Amino acid sequence: MALTGRTALIAALGALFVGFVLPGWLGILAVQLILLIAILCDLALAAPVRKLHFTRTGDTTVRLTGQAHTHLTITNADRRTLRAQIRDAWPPSSFHPGSDIPASRHTVRIPGAERRRLTTVLHPTRRGDHHAVRVTVRSYGPLGLAARQGSHQVPWTLRVLPPFTSRKHLPAKLARLRELDGRTSILTRGEGTEFDSLRDYTPGDDTRSIDWRATARQQTLAVRTWRPERDRRILLVLETGRTSAGRVGDIPRLDASMDAALLLGALAARAGDRVDLLAYDRRVRASVQGRSARDLLPALTDALAPLESELVEADARGLAATIHRSTPRRSLIVLFTGLDTAPVEEALLPVLPGLTQRNELIVAAVTDPRIEEMAAGRHTPQAVYAAAAAEQTRAARRRTADRLRRHGITVIDSTPARLAPDLADAYLTLKSAGRL
Amino acid sequence: MTTAATDSTSLSPTARHLWIRSRGLLLAILLLVVGGVVLAALQSGEHHGRLDPRSPDRPGSQALARLLAAHGVTTQVVTTSEEAAAAAGPDTTLLVTNPDMLTPRQLSGLRTATAHTPGRTVLVAPGPATLAALPLGVRAEPPVDISALSAACSLPEARRAGSALLGGLRYATSSSTADGCYLSGGLPTLLRIPPTDAGRDTVLLGAPDPLYNYRLTEQGNASLALQLLGAHKHVVWYLPSVSDPSSTQDNQRGFLDLIPSGWTWGLLQLAFAAVFAAFWRARRLGPLVPERLPVTVPAAETTEGHARLYEQANARDRASAVLRSATRTRLAPLIGVPPAHAHTPDILLPAVHTHLTAAPDAGLHALLFGPAPADDKALVQLADQLDELETSIVSQERHTPREHPDR
Repeated sequence: MALTGRTALIAALGALFVGFVLPGWLGILAVQLILLIAILCDLALAAPVRKLHFTRTGDTTVRLTGQAHTHLTITNADRRTLRAQIRDAWPPSSFHPGSDIPASRHTVRIPGAERRRLTTVLHPTRRGDHHAVRVTVRSYGPLGLAARQGSHQVPWTLRVLPPFTSRKHLPAKLARLRELDGRTSILTRGEGTEFDSLRDYTPGDDTRSIDWRATARQQTLAVRTWRPERDRRILLVLETGRTSAGRVGDIPRLDASMDAALLLGALAARAGDRVDLLAYDRRVRASVQGRSARDLLPALTDALAPLESELVEADARGLAATIHRSTPRRSLIVLFTGLDTAPVEEALLPVLPGLTQRNELIVAAVTDPRIEEMAAGRHTPQAVYAAAAAEQTRAARRRTADRLRRHGITVIDSTPARLAPDLADAYLTLKSAGRL
Repeated sequence: MTTAATDSTSLSPTARHLWIRSRGLLLAILLLVVGGVVLAALQSGEHHGRLDPRSPDRPGSQALARLLAAHGVTTQVVTTSEEAAAAAGPDTTLLVTNPDMLTPRQLSGLRTATAHTPGRTVLVAPGPATLAALPLGVRAEPPVDISALSAACSLPEARRAGSALLGGLRYATSSSTADGCYLSGGLPTLLRIPPTDAGRDTVLLGAPDPLYNYRLTEQGNASLALQLLGAHKHVVWYLPSVSDPSSTQDNQRGFLDLIPSGWTWGLLQLAFAAVFAAFWRARRLGPLVPERLPVTVPAAETTEGHARLYEQANARDRASAVLRSATRTRLAPLIGVPPAHAHTPDILLPAVHTHLTAAPDAGLHALLFGPAPADDKALVQLADQLDELETSIVSQERHTPREHPDR
C-alpha cells in the first residue's frame, strides 16, 4: 500500500475545516474518518497487482555503447482499470549514468481485460550479463489517494558484448591478407610457402616462379602460384589474473586484450586458420574450441562478454598445462598478459620452454600511455621525478620483453589503441614467413 | 525470445506470509506489555499514597487522620497551592507533606496567604532549596539515619511525647527563641519556630516517620504527631502534586497559548497531514538494486607512487642516473653503438662527438656520466640538457640519412 501527495494535501486542507468550522476532537475525527473511508474505497477500487500477467520480449544481446529495447507486455485480467506507475528495475549500469530513474519508470492505464506493451530502453555502460531485477507496480485507485503496490519477478537477461572497436582495422588487414594470398589484381607473386596451383605465364610475372617441368609438359610457360599455409591452429589465451585488472585510461587491460583477440580471431578465421580461445587465471574462465569460421566471431564475443578480471595471482604452471592439453598439434599461441617483471620472471619464464618447444608464441601486453606522458614531463622537480620513475618502469618492461624475445617469443607491447592492429600485423608477418 | 509468464511471478507477500513473518514480533510485543503490567502491579504497592490521610498502606497516614478525627480535629485534603492558601484560615494547622515539590512561587504564595492568620504550619522534611525560599533563618544540615531519639527540649509537646523515631534532615538556626528537639549529633531534627505577630508558628520535621501508619505505634510517635497536628481544630493536609497548574512556573505564556484555540486544533490537523506526507514520501517504488562493481586500479599507480617516493626522499642521484641511462639507451642505436656498450663512456662519447655538428662540448662527459645534481633546480636543468642533446642528434640523423638503408 502507498499513499499519494493528494492525501497529504487534502489532510492539510482539512486543517482549514478544523480551524474555522469544527475546532476540537470532533473536527479532527471527522476529517480523519472521511479521509480514511476515501482511502479504503480507493484501495478497494484499485486493480490488484497480484493478478497481473507479465511477458517479456526484446533484445538478448547488444554491443557495449549500443542500445537495447526490452518489451514488457502487461495483461490486466481483472475487471478494474489499472492506473499504475511501473518500475522495470535493472542494475544501475544498464542505463546512462543518472538517467536510470526516468528510463526505468512508466505510467500506464490498462482497462480491464486488456493488455499493453511497455518498452524499456537500456544503454548498458558495462560489459557482461545484465539481469532484470523485478517489476514493481503501484496501482492507484480512481481518486488518486492511495495505491496498492507489489512486485513481480519477470526474468530476462541481456548480454552486453565487448564493443570490438578495432573492427575498423579489419578491412585494411584483410586487404593485406589478400595480397599475401596472391588473390589481388596486382601482379605479385603470392607470398607464402605452400604450393597453390599452376597457371599460364603473363608478362610481368616473376620469372623465378616459372615451373620449367610443367612448361616442358604443356608447351606454354607455366608459373607456380603460392599461398600462405591454411588450416593452421591459433590459440588465443587471455590471462584474467590481477595484472589484467589495471585500468589504462578508464578501460581495464583485459578489455583492450579482448579487442585485440577479436580482431585477430576475425582475421585468422578469414585466412582459413582455426581459432580457439582460452581465458585462465587459476582455472578456466572461458573456452571456445573447434568452431567453424562462420560462427567463430559470435562464439568469441559471447564467451568474452561476461569475463571479468579476478583479483588473484594467475597460476602460470596450470596455464601451461591447460595450453598443452588444448593444443595437440603445433599452434600459434597468443598470450595476452602483463609485462610486470615479478610475475613474468618468477612464474611465466620457467614454464615457457615447454610451450615454445613445439609452438610459436606471441606475448601481447598493454602499455599505459600515461607512462609515456610522465616520461615526457619536464620543467618542475615533480615532473622530472615522475619522468625518472616512468623511465625506470619502461626500462624494466624493456628488460622483461628482451628476456622473452631471447626465448624466440614475439613480444608486442602497445597502447590499447594500437594493440589490435599491431597484433594483426605480427600475425600477418608470421604467416607470410611461413612460421605458423 | 519470449518467456511465458507464470502465476508465481508475484513477489508480494500474501496475508498468510505476513502473519507467519510477523507473529514472532507480535508475540514479543505481547510478552513485553504483559511483563510490564505485571512488574508495575508488583512494585506499585510501596509508595502509593505516601502520607495520604486516606491511605491504609504502610507509608500512608490514615491511622493518624482517624486518631485526629477521634479527638475532634477535622482533616481537609488539598492538592493545589491555591486550595491550600484558601483553606488555611485562622486557627488551622497547615501540613505540607512534601514541600520540596513546591516551586518558590508556590511557597511564597502560601507564605503570604498564611502570614496574617494565626495557626501552625508543619513542613515535613523541607530541603535546603525550600528553606532558602522561606524567610525562616534556618539551615538544613546533612541527614542522619532514623532512630529513637529523646525529646531533650522544653517544647511541651515533645516533653509529653517522650522519645520518638526521628532523624533525617537536621536544622540549624541562629534564633534563640526557636525550640530544637530530638537532637542528633547536637543538631535538632524537630524545630519549632515560635509564633509570629499574627500568631502562627512553624514546625520543621526532619523525617516523616512519626506520621506513617506503620510507625505510629512505636515510641512516642503517636503522641508527638497528635500534639503537633491537633493543636488546632482543623488540619489542612496539603499533598503537593505535579498536576497543580500553578507548579508550571512562569508568567510568560507558551506559543500554543497565544494562538486562538480553534487553530490549536488546526495545527493538530496539520500534524496529521505531515504524517500522511511522510508516508507518501517514505514509500519507495521497489527496493534499491545492488550491483557487483569491478575494482578500479589505475595501471600506472605503482609508477606514480614511485615518483612521489623519489620526490619525498629527494632521490636526485637515482633520478639523474635513471634519466641519463634512458638517454644513453635511446642514443646508442642512433649513433651506431651496440646496446651492450651504451653505458661505456670510452665507446659512447667519441661516437656522440662525431655526430654533433657543433664544437665538441667539454661538458658531454659530465652530462651523460657526471655526478648527481646538487639541488632540484640542477636536476630539472639536467633533464632539459639531456633532451637538447637527444633532439640535436635526432635532427642530425634526419638531415643525413644512412647510406645503406635496410631495404
